[in-house]
Amino acid sequence: MPLSLRESLSEIADPRNLDLTVEEICQMMLGIHCRRGERPLEEEAERVTAVVGFGGLLSGACVFRSGGGAACALASHMTGMELTEVDDTVKDGIGEICNMLAGSWKGKVPELAAHCGLSVPAVITGRDYNLHVQAPEFRLEHVYEFEGNTFEVTILCDGLQ
Amino acid sequence: MSEIQTLIVDDSSVMRKIVERALRQAGLDSMHVYEAGNGAEGLEILRSSTVDLILSDINMPAMDGLEFLRQIKDQKLAQGVPVVMITTESSEEHVKQAIAAGARGYIRKPFTPEQVKERVLPLVKVA
Repeated sequence: MPLSLRESLSEIADPRNLDLTVEEICQMMLGIHCRRGERPLEEEAERVTAVVGFGGLLSGACVFRSGGGAACALASHMTGMELTEVDDTVKDGIGEICNMLAGSWKGKVPELAAHCGLSVPAVITGRDYNLHVQAPEFRLEHVYEFEGNTFEVTILCDGLQ
Repeated sequence: MSEIQTLIVDDSSVMRKIVERALRQAGLDSMHVYEAGNGAEGLEILRSSTVDLILSDINMPAMDGLEFLRQIKDQKLAQGVPVVMITTESSEEHVKQAIAAGARGYIRKPFTPEQVKERVLPLVKVA
C-alpha cells in the first residue's frame, strides 16, 4: 500500500507547530523572544522574501517575509554584527532562517520529516511585488513581533499525497 | 590542546560563522578554520591541507554533504578525521544515510552551543 500523509493532515496543518518552530529558532539561533503578533506586516518600501520549497509526499513552500529593517535586525542577532542595509550577509542570513523554519516545521511530524525534502533557499528583495499561489491545500500565515519589528511566516501546501 | 584544524562546509557564509562561533563557545578557542561553500570546495581543501575535524551541511549546491562524505572515503582523504553533519534535515533516514556514508555525528539546526559541545568535543579529544 503506498504511503500517504493525508490521514495526518490535521497534525501537519496544526497552527501550533508553526508557532513552536518560530519560537524555537528565535530563541536558539537568534537569542530573541518573539511572539505571535496581531497587527499585519508593516508596510515598507523594501521587502525581503525567502522561499524554501517542499518536495515529496508534501509539495509546497515555507515563505518568510519582512521589511528591510526587520530583516537587518534578525540578521544582526544571528551574526553578532551590526547590519543596517539589506546586503548579501542579510540575504544569506534570512535564507538560512527560512531554511531552518522549513526544516524544523516539517520535523514536528515524523512522517513528514522522513518523506519530504527541502530545496535550497531563494531570497527575493525589492519593491512592489506580490507572491501569488493558486488554491493551496492548506495555508498557515502568521505574523510575529520582536523588539518592535514584525515578520511573517507562511506555510503553503499545494499538494499532499 | 594544540590548535585544531577545522573544516566547515556550508553554502551559507553566515552559517559557517555561526558554527565557528559555537565551536569557540564550546571551548575550541585554539582553532584554525578552513571554509568551503560546498563539498567540491571541501575536497580541494582536504587535498592540500591536514585537518582534525570536519563539520558539513547536507543540502548544498554543486556537491551535497552526503556525496562529499562518499568522495572523502573513495579518495582516501582525511582518514580517521571525524565528520559531523550539521543540517536542517533530521529524519531517521537522513541520519542513517549520513552514518552509512561515514559521519561520526549529527547536529540538527537550530542548535545550541551546548549541543555542539556535547557532540563535537568528545570526537576531537579522541581524534
